[in-house]
Amino acid sequence: MKVEGLVFALLAIFLTVTSGLYWVLSRDVTGFTCLLLTGGLTFIIGYYLLFTARRLEARPEDRPDAEISEGSGEMGFFSPHSWWPMAAAGSFALTMMGIAFGPFLVLIGFVCVLVTASGFLFEYYVGVNKTQGQTLSALEAQGLRPTGMQKFLGEKPHQG
Amino acid sequence: MTLILDAAPPIANRRPNPGPGAKIVKIVTTTDHKTIGLMYLVTAFVFFLFSGGLAEIMRAELARPALQFVSQEQYNQLFTMHGTIMMFLVAPPLAFGFANFIMPLQIGAPDMSFPRLNAFGYWLYLFGGLTVVAGFLTPDGAAAFGWFAYAPLNDVIHSPNLGSDLWIVGLITAGLGTILGAVNFITTILTLRAPGMTMFRMPIFTWNMLVTSILVLMAFPVLTAALFALEADRHLGAHVFDVQNGGAILWQHLFWFFGHPEVYIIALPFFGVVSEVIPVFSRKPMFGYKGLVFATIAIGALSMTVWAHHMFATGAVLLPFFSFMSFLIAVPTGVKFFNWIGTMWRGQLTFETPMLFCVGFLFTFLLGGITGVLLASPPIDFHVTDTYFVVAHFHYVVFGTAIFGAFAGAYFWFPKMTGRMLNDRLGKVHFWSLFVGFHLTFGVQHWLGGEGMPRRVADYYASDGFTTLNTISSIGAFALGLSTLPFIYNVIVSYRRGEKAVGDDPWGFGNSLEWATSCPPPRHNFVTMPRIRSERPAFDLHYPAAAGRIDMHATPELR
Repeated sequence: MKVEGLVFALLAIFLTVTSGLYWVLSRDVTGFTCLLLTGGLTFIIGYYLLFTARRLEARPEDRPDAEISEGSGEMGFFSPHSWWPMAAAGSFALTMMGIAFGPFLVLIGFVCVLVTASGFLFEYYVGVNKTQGQTLSALEAQGLRPTGMQKFLGEKPHQG
Repeated sequence: MTLILDAAPPIANRRPNPGPGAKIVKIVTTTDHKTIGLMYLVTAFVFFLFSGGLAEIMRAELARPALQFVSQEQYNQLFTMHGTIMMFLVAPPLAFGFANFIMPLQIGAPDMSFPRLNAFGYWLYLFGGLTVVAGFLTPDGAAAFGWFAYAPLNDVIHSPNLGSDLWIVGLITAGLGTILGAVNFITTILTLRAPGMTMFRMPIFTWNMLVTSILVLMAFPVLTAALFALEADRHLGAHVFDVQNGGAILWQHLFWFFGHPEVYIIALPFFGVVSEVIPVFSRKPMFGYKGLVFATIAIGALSMTVWAHHMFATGAVLLPFFSFMSFLIAVPTGVKFFNWIGTMWRGQLTFETPMLFCVGFLFTFLLGGITGVLLASPPIDFHVTDTYFVVAHFHYVVFGTAIFGAFAGAYFWFPKMTGRMLNDRLGKVHFWSLFVGFHLTFGVQHWLGGEGMPRRVADYYASDGFTTLNTISSIGAFALGLSTLPFIYNVIVSYRRGEKAVGDDPWGFGNSLEWATSCPPPRHNFVTMPRIRSERPAFDLHYPAAAGRIDMHATPELR
């Protein structure tokens, strides 16, 4: 994960230094602010990645000698198909069109956004498709912890 | 027990052949990165045809002096929408389409990190794009303030029409889709790589998509913010872009802070595409892999600091800084050229259609890059700014990268996407007619610009002396338009009856992991995966005797 972090860190250093140089040379508020904020954006991501990389041992994808079998096991949950992306995007587009056509459409669109965003978020947390959403305490009561968290805490992954 | 059996009939009893309705439902609800990738590609191509049609109308109008087909106002709408559609709804979605389909395969991932977010991004792009184009259906017509919508022309007094509002909100919608897509790409590349796929073994296309996605994250939010502020000005009585507050320059700064990285958002993915194609048809590994990666990162960083070279003529920007930075960005781009030529140097070259398009890309983009270096020099820029010289320059850059690159990718990965090859003879007809048509259209525009013909005019006098070159340019444009017909025919026929792709790697010398799975790949991409020991695992798998030997220079840890 170190290389990933360094890519962002490199950008952060370059943009921050350049923003300072640009400010000294030009005194242009707009460009300086944009550059500095962009530097901040890359700094946050880079710092997080390097911070995490120091606490994790190298993942199989970070090691040049890793075998494919080391990546076996559950990778995570991949939604097989879903109606919500299209519905949510349609609602957002409707709200945006409301800005052009008039406030009434913004109101209608906003209600649609609330409904579809809830559907999008909770699709796999309630109803017949529930696969997500066991609370951490419920998992720990069964003696389980999510794999990612175990890796983070440096515990051995549970068998079975 | 009985209840459960009743509720779920055995799979064998379900309908084997879904009807058209079921197929539509399948597409609309899909979260498969390969299907979404194809949807991006098809939608972007339809927008490309539409926007190309707008360009043909403009060239028809400009072929002779005087107004023949459109009014001045309609002409303004045409060039505005042509630029907008090409820059927002064609080039980045083409890149996103290829990235969606190919990138997870290249890193050995089963899907994108967030499959539903991926679909969400596509639908935002589609709906946003339709909103922009819907301006043509309103009584006052579409947006007509140019694709960069300078203030104060973009305010409610100068552009009161509904089409302008639809343009703004449509771009906000499509832009959100682009941002979310970029988030998805970055997360996928960072977290879903196969074991052994270290960062410095990733294919160049994947590297370029990573840098492109970072650029999207840095550039697009600025545009979204500027567009929201513009809507606040237009409808809520805000005064962000008022002239007395320095709003005209403020808008230009914000727009180009997005607009210049956007050029690289368009270009970098297609640099990646040609970097995938050239080694395969040269039968050599990429020359200077790490140098190419660092050049890409350097382009990404520098592209954030050159935006105001679009604003030299305002007299309100720091000329030496932006001029120097613009010259500087030519260096990593030149490094890339050395990498590509070094890969071809003394290789076993064959010129199938994808390779032809790559050579066309090298030639065209080189010329666009050279005129770019000229324009980075303020004394030259002052003379030719807003003339056809600039029009010729940026068409060489964006057409050279995005369209030549996209066609190279289309011919290269069509077997991976459909399991059938595109016809190579038709492909060559396509390439040569496109290549000649393109250079006929835009080559002469350098001279038109040098003679002083301004851009964005619908008319000129016969006494201006622009007639001959304009007529040549228009003839070229029609040839360019016609060159798309063999491609469309090729895709339709080859999709149904084309030659079957043989094995996992129909080109025979594929390098990256997508050539180690079937054509087309199964739902979650891989049944088995080869060991990854170099930056070209599929080649190592198919040529175990050569594996590691040629790659020593690229993977020193294996020595």
